[in-house]
Amino acid sequence: MSTPHAAPSAAESLLEVEGLAARYPVRRGLTQVLARQTRRWVHAVDGVSLSLARGEMVALVGESGCGKTTTVQTISGMVTPSSGSIQLDGAEIVGLSERRLRPLRRRMQMIYQDPYESLDPRFRVSQTLVEPMLIHGIGGSRSDRARLAAEALERAGLAPAGAFLDRYPHELSGGQRQRVAIAAALVLGPDLLLADEPVSMLDVSVRAGVLALLDALRRDPGMGILMITHDLSTAAHFADRIAVMYLGRIVEQGPAQTVVRAPRHPYTRALLSVVPDRDPRKAGTPQILTGEAPDPANVPSGCRFRTRCPVAEAQCTTADPHLRFPSDATDPAHEVACHLA
Amino acid sequence: MSLLECRDLHVWFDQTHGGQVHAVNGASFGLDAGQRFGLVGESGCGKTTTILALMGLLPPTASVAGEVRINGTDILCGGEESVRPFRWRDIAMVFQGAMNAFNPMKTVAWQIAEPMVYHGVADRAEARSRASELLELVGIPAAAGKRYPHEFSGGMRQRAAIAMALACEPKILLADEPTTALDVMVQAQVLELLTRLSDELGLALILVTHDLPVVAQTCERAAVMYGGEIVEDGPVADLYHAASHPYTRLLFAATPDLYGEERITTIPGGPPRLDSVIAGCPFRPRCDVPMERCDGEHPTLSITGPDHRAACHRNELQGAK
Repeated sequence: MSTPHAAPSAAESLLEVEGLAARYPVRRGLTQVLARQTRRWVHAVDGVSLSLARGEMVALVGESGCGKTTTVQTISGMVTPSSGSIQLDGAEIVGLSERRLRPLRRRMQMIYQDPYESLDPRFRVSQTLVEPMLIHGIGGSRSDRARLAAEALERAGLAPAGAFLDRYPHELSGGQRQRVAIAAALVLGPDLLLADEPVSMLDVSVRAGVLALLDALRRDPGMGILMITHDLSTAAHFADRIAVMYLGRIVEQGPAQTVVRAPRHPYTRALLSVVPDRDPRKAGTPQILTGEAPDPANVPSGCRFRTRCPVAEAQCTTADPHLRFPSDATDPAHEVACHLA
Repeated sequence: MSLLECRDLHVWFDQTHGGQVHAVNGASFGLDAGQRFGLVGESGCGKTTTILALMGLLPPTASVAGEVRINGTDILCGGEESVRPFRWRDIAMVFQGAMNAFNPMKTVAWQIAEPMVYHGVADRAEARSRASELLELVGIPAAAGKRYPHEFSGGMRQRAAIAMALACEPKILLADEPTTALDVMVQAQVLELLTRLSDELGLALILVTHDLPVVAQTCERAAVMYGGEIVEDGPVADLYHAASHPYTRLLFAATPDLYGEERITTIPGGPPRLDSVIAGCPFRPRCDVPMERCDGEHPTLSITGPDHRAACHRNELQGAK
């Protein structure tokens, strides 16, 4: 990883996403259809490139509606990309048939935000863990599957497994439920975990435990984790790299500590400035951007951040900046999409 | 005499299968005009129940004891009759998820004007012009009031919900997790708004949240609740720099910090059950520095510094030294 292009080369990277785009049609009314008004599109993800190595945790941060979740759903195959490439261990997965995608899906598992919603309330923990194995044909016999389920549960920090297997979700705390959801992903032996805000619904006192679990999992068998979070402090603490998204694009990415301590994109700077510090005496000067991100069906010309940018110049209205390594960057892995950075 | 005085507040809920849950256990605090006070703790600790009690809005399954005084008048003693004249006019609340509770069929301005007409503080025309003023006050162009809630973004709906609570010009505003569902940038906008309202209008603000950094940066004082009790209160700087209760210290240690180097930690175990009397300290099973005393003796709030109290036996130990 000492090359100037710090992104791991395709050979060693687990996930390689290049120029990914996903769009949704905007609903037209009958009159608009009859008037032959052209179909408009929401470009939820508009040219995202990122890579993830085994054993690495990358945090995808940004405001709601910036395309974080669509990016992850596209990678997991739930949303079909309109263009771009997604490679898992060097094998292209965009355009594969459902039949050929299924074994790959086993290797990429999602962890959702709300463990109160993601677990079936009528399933005992054991059923929740066995069901994915049945779907993917894992474990030769009932007893094999029971053993795998117990192992996954203990790896997820619920030990002894026997004390949890027969319980229903309502008998578990929020942190325990999220651990069950993680165990249900682990039973399939995934290479890549896609975690969408995995701790934001949990109480502060148990968040650290679930995050420490994810941290341990990625180190142990060399699993890669792509974590969506809106909490920059969590990203700074647990991720190796941070990618900041704005309106369907990654506008800045690099090693977590570099992005947090030496941000170069004005959007990242503003985001970091408004994160409240837990120390009341350390009051920064929040740089509050007015309004909210523009409608992704109506992306501004040139730089998409310019409408809210405090330092935008004339060139920003015409030229669309692309992610690049600034020539004067002190960290060679730090990429920014800004004309002025 | 404080603007708001809450003394020894208790709330019990009847359970369907018999028995009672002691949801708030002897909470006391006071608040003056222009002050911002944080009520923090994890889910189920009694924060929301406390402020619903201040509004007299608890369900019929709840029984309440204690005193809540506004400018010296006890508003709880006479039940609904004694609260009603104060509710919304003196003490108002922005409910958790209020931004998602607008009537989708009515314009935003109509919904802000309605309580004024209902409470008889203004006639239709006055209420309409006042609704426009309120929208401008919270940073929404008055013309946008003609729009429907679905045309507003989350941040704008939260501002509109705050405007609605301010309709009858209350002196005290209770905000329950006002920024929890919002992005950091919108959160910053809403917190700036609440701070400005308390500074400019002299509004007394109670901010209920599980988010310690939000309270640390917005409020002057805060109370930490655990198992239905206030276990520590004081100036926010003292809570962070000189916590007198292990729970406060551990909560801060579990909160990640943007530039922090130290590992963030978990507090093992879970909150206590509140359906039976807890003999010792309610935090005893999760405490990292328990003593023998903590098993049998329930600690009470005692002074640990200027304007700073905590309910932990360790403080008495230090005091004796």
